Amino acid sequence: MLIPLYVLTVNAFKGQQDILTDPFGLGSLTLEPLGRALTNPQFNVVKGYAVTLLFVVAVNLLSVVLAAPAAYVIARSPKRRFRVLMLFFLAGTFIPGQVLVIPVVYVLKTLGLMGTIRGFVLFETVLTLPFSIFLYAGYIATVPAVLDQAAAVDGAGRLRTFWQIVFPLMRPAVATMVILNTFSVWNDFVNPQIILGPGSGLYTVTTGVYAAVSQYATDYTVVFPTLLLAIAPLLVFFVFMQRHIISGLTAGSTKG
Amino acid sequence: MTLTRVAPLVTTTVARQKPRRRDGWVTAIMVGPATVLYTVMLIVPVGLALYLSLTDWDGFSADPAFVGAANYLDLLDDPDLRRAAFVTLLVAAAGTAGLNLLGLGFALLVNGVSRANTFFRIVLFYPHVLSALVVGFLWSAILGTTGAVNNLVTSWGGEVLPFLSDPTWATITMIAVLVWAGFGVNVVLYLAGLQAVPHSLIEAARIDGATRRQVFRNVTLPALGPSVTVNIVLSLVTLLKTYDLVVSLTAGGPAGQTQTVAYLILWNSFHDARLGFGSAQSVLLMLVTGALAFVVTRLRRRGELAVHQ
Repeated sequence: MLIPLYVLTVNAFKGQQDILTDPFGLGSLTLEPLGRALTNPQFNVVKGYAVTLLFVVAVNLLSVVLAAPAAYVIARSPKRRFRVLMLFFLAGTFIPGQVLVIPVVYVLKTLGLMGTIRGFVLFETVLTLPFSIFLYAGYIATVPAVLDQAAAVDGAGRLRTFWQIVFPLMRPAVATMVILNTFSVWNDFVNPQIILGPGSGLYTVTTGVYAAVSQYATDYTVVFPTLLLAIAPLLVFFVFMQRHIISGLTAGSTKG
Repeated sequence: MTLTRVAPLVTTTVARQKPRRRDGWVTAIMVGPATVLYTVMLIVPVGLALYLSLTDWDGFSADPAFVGAANYLDLLDDPDLRRAAFVTLLVAAAGTAGLNLLGLGFALLVNGVSRANTFFRIVLFYPHVLSALVVGFLWSAILGTTGAVNNLVTSWGGEVLPFLSDPTWATITMIAVLVWAGFGVNVVLYLAGLQAVPHSLIEAARIDGATRRQVFRNVTLPALGPSVTVNIVLSLVTLLKTYDLVVSLTAGGPAGQTQTVAYLILWNSFHDARLGFGSAQSVLLMLVTGALAFVVTRLRRRGELAVHQ
């Protein structure tokens, strides 16, 4: 299982000749290819990190702000129309992403958001909504409603009750969703490639890797360091948070 | 204590005092934005996909012409689609088998709480954290004609192995990489399933003199029934939309022989600017995926009922 990772790491620090003659050995290690990958004009990795991180943060924030209050209303209201709304959102978890790319291009064009950061962030956020609302509503149902009533007695309105009393208690559910969304945004390839487009000059880590690697697939002094840089942050994050990440990603993969 | 006793009494008075209209506004503010965005960008597009599949949209024109069922008729005798459908079904079937055999096998191996098992779980799961695009590029650097393995083989005086340059080999390689990258999830799902198997049942069987294998076949496996269904459906649905890995591992080659349906959809849509035709293919893929998931669930349920009787 770890051999590919070993090959990737070792060869990221070797020259082309060393990689070709001795792909599995340590050879003479050098930082030079890694440095060149960092300053690759085809794909600026540092800028890629920044852009991706911006998307990750924006999608996560927007997703929580939109999904959490909606889930609260759905979970707390006995009214029939909110149960129907829950089913309406639930239907979204069954829609495969591939089917959506083409019509979403149409919608974004109509709204004038095609090729823009706003359009991309909005669409990625919407993709997270069905499962977030499902997960949050389920979690809120376990939070005693007495708390809401106590807050109401103290004169808090519904918005304030939610954000100051209930929302802080939703930490575990929010953490799961944040992990899930972070990985799906970071690793997404199709949506940024098509919605942002190569023409925009905006590369996420994943589309940047595609731009940098696909043309130079046999120049291994480009391939290995670029791939290593693309996965390093996620891998470090994963090793430190493995328990939460494994449960979060598994929850996400069973959502369908 | 006092809180729980007093609260319901007071809230009713508070609710009565509060003007109803304001409450409606607050609810609208809380539910509205999510509902509107979700409808515009997820529900409307599904309907649009159906509509666009009946047009000749090229991705640019503002009002695509309505062409009726022409796209669907084109699908029927499209040799590319036929080949891609075969590759996709093969990948889905073989991949599902691989993911579940390895997933269940390793779950049984690393079941139980220990430091070593935690380590193994991390090692088995980590490829899932990486994007499929990176996984594909990495494996093509390892298995390509000038990749790591072939350099080793040729330096030992062997022939270059056509992992990615022969259609049959390339398909097998793709399935193997998909399984490598994905079975960690199945391990975790099966582990969760194993936690739910009642311990008393296993102990009872052991006391009655059942061997380990008998316990697995007659106690553990039947109790895992629902887990198996979830895992199979999940693997199928995921594999049927394989795209990123095709792009990076084989780019659909050699000679288009490893193109999957999802790859073909995006190729037709954005390379050939035939988004109407691509939409028709997406609709077809969605229907086939849904139908297969439904059939598998139904068959498995019948199997589970048979076990319980």
